Amino acid sequence: MSYTLRGRIESRIAAVLPVLAAACALAAAEHRWWPVEAAGLMLGIGLALDVQVYHPLLRYQPAWATLPLGALELGLLLAAMRAAGVAAPLGQALLLFAGAWLVAQLLGHAGFPLLRLSYAEDGGELGRLGAAVAVSAGIVLAGAGATAYALRPPVVHLAAGVHQGPLVITRREVLVGEPGAVVRGGIVVRARGVTIRNVSVVGGENGITIDGYRGTVLDRVSVSGSKLDGIHVRLAGVVIKNCTVDMLGNPLGQGIDISYNMNMGMSMVEGCTITGGMEGITTHSSMTQVTDNHVSRTTMRGISVTEMSMGMVMDNEVRDAHGIGIWCNDRSMCSIEHNTVVGTAGVGVLASFQSEAALRGNQLTTNTVPFQATVNSEVATTH
Amino acid sequence: MTVAIVGSGIAGFTAYQSLRRELEPEEIVVLGPDDDPASTFRRHAAAIHQREMRSESDGHCLAASFPGLSFRSAVRRRSPGPLLGTLVDRYHPTLDEFLDHVEGLRDRSGWDRSLRRTRVARVRAVEDGFELDGHGAFRHVLLAPGHPGLNVPGGLRDDPRVVHSYEPHEYESTVTVVGAGLAAATEWLNALAAGAEVVSVRRREPVRRPLNVPREYLSRRGLAGFHRLGREERAAKLRMLLAPSYPPGRRFDEPLATATMEDRFRVEESVNGSRQVICATGFRRGFRHDPLLARLVDEHGLETVDDWIVLDPDGSVPALTDDSRTLALAGVSAQWAFPAADTLTGAKYVAHAFLRRCRTR
Repeated sequence: MSYTLRGRIESRIAAVLPVLAAACALAAAEHRWWPVEAAGLMLGIGLALDVQVYHPLLRYQPAWATLPLGALELGLLLAAMRAAGVAAPLGQALLLFAGAWLVAQLLGHAGFPLLRLSYAEDGGELGRLGAAVAVSAGIVLAGAGATAYALRPPVVHLAAGVHQGPLVITRREVLVGEPGAVVRGGIVVRARGVTIRNVSVVGGENGITIDGYRGTVLDRVSVSGSKLDGIHVRLAGVVIKNCTVDMLGNPLGQGIDISYNMNMGMSMVEGCTITGGMEGITTHSSMTQVTDNHVSRTTMRGISVTEMSMGMVMDNEVRDAHGIGIWCNDRSMCSIEHNTVVGTAGVGVLASFQSEAALRGNQLTTNTVPFQATVNSEVATTH
Repeated sequence: MTVAIVGSGIAGFTAYQSLRRELEPEEIVVLGPDDDPASTFRRHAAAIHQREMRSESDGHCLAASFPGLSFRSAVRRRSPGPLLGTLVDRYHPTLDEFLDHVEGLRDRSGWDRSLRRTRVARVRAVEDGFELDGHGAFRHVLLAPGHPGLNVPGGLRDDPRVVHSYEPHEYESTVTVVGAGLAAATEWLNALAAGAEVVSVRRREPVRRPLNVPREYLSRRGLAGFHRLGREERAAKLRMLLAPSYPPGRRFDEPLATATMEDRFRVEESVNGSRQVICATGFRRGFRHDPLLARLVDEHGLETVDDWIVLDPDGSVPALTDDSRTLALAGVSAQWAFPAADTLTGAKYVAHAFLRRCRTR
């Protein structure tokens, strides 16, 4: 088809309208904004490409071109989501894009031509309908933006200095520590959608406890001196980024423990530094992505994925674990890629008790035993 | 009764299908000499042994482009092949598929109920409409008179060896094919397949492109610029766009290359001593060759440029169209509005605009 510029834009907006509606419904159901943000980005990227690339370059667009152009738009969307910090589950984001692409194809090849007889000869223009859908899309996006703005959680600033805890958060909020803000005695999260940023926690039974609430984000938190776990997550969905957990002097504690949240979607631990403790990062019955962390000097294991967990362990550095560097245990399925495990007294990577570990691109050679599988387990290596 | 179509060929039939989206058969009158809309097309296609259409999935007579012939073919054959072909612009319906489609549509659409078998020789503007040669007055009239006869170059008209490619013929042992379009290319292959030695006589090297015109001229993308051109520039552009062409591809290239190597195919500048001369020179060009259009122009003082009647972008005749009535041209005579007007896409282009006028006025 030979689109006019107006035809491209009108067809684009009209095709994204049902996707926007679906994204709004999904956002309402999940109490998360990423579907609307993703749909908005999808529309923005599409319109930018229409104006800047497709219209000048493609005087005629054959049907097959929708495949590579769709792949291009998907790549740009994922990059834009990453750059904009849109925290979407990858699978669901791909599903949303695939649905949007399919809707666009169905409408472009069947729906619009049936709706408007001269659709092809008008170069994709939709006449009055085009203006109406543009206004509708604008209203939906503006409405979503206004709603998001109105529903923003309150931001609580924690002043510099020591605050006696435990600090219990019972409402959705963003807790931001000023430089030098310290909570002594731990933080307990008792609400959905809490964000804690730039806060140091000293002491407490657990440094930070999240039990039974979704949507917690810990960003640049620092934990030390806790009695049990540094960060303790139970039955909760969580994103932990750029944290520091100091467990030195606590040989039985765990740096980060994320457990029993398999039904809460994907959790994430990224860019954290954990020192000491019995285990650095451990997950039980969980789907957690563990990437780009530094774990060192643990008394038993560096990173554990256990009790029927499904986990991706990527780009981590594990040093000087006394027992096992990365452990895939108890019927878990682990994808272990591009990690560096050094100085382990026992095994670099161990799969045990009916677990499956897929290894790729890891640096394991300096360990006493680089990798091993025991008790009906399997290690598959690729390079 | 307010709407009439003059002409019962493929262009008139295609326009009829668009009108039927909103009008009943009793509300449309079709005036034409043939009750079979594909009779002329079928005769011409048979003469050059055409097996498949140059058009693609959109090459059908239905008002909406979806579902096209490839989709229908895929459903009928229970195979994704036609759809995959469409994906890469390689699907071409067979001639039989197209003719079956026309036949089925004729039965379903009520065409025979609307048709009056007659030849209209004169269209005369009257108050709030047009009087059609004693068949009554109509507010909205679409003229689809078709091509005005076969074109044989002047110097060959009295040559006894000459046959037009669209007339039934077999092949002699030596054949000269005059022309450079799809009919000529088809005749080269036909004559070579029949064992003949073939000479191609043409004034210019053929243009190779998939469809009659570049694809952008099938939509507003290319048409907007075309419609903005001044009279002389537009006429020059039309002459360029309507230069003879045939599709690129091995289907033509390989047999011609082989025949050239075997010295059975060559290009010459003028007709030689071949036993047979086939004029693949298409149709006579210009409204003057059509008595109905020539009379319409003369009686109403319509504006013309060279071979073409000047039309508005939607195919209507500006001097005879206003808020209360419409006179539009379809088929080859609408090239001033749509360069590929003598294709199925062209017929639909005019028909859609005509339907809008009928609906809103």
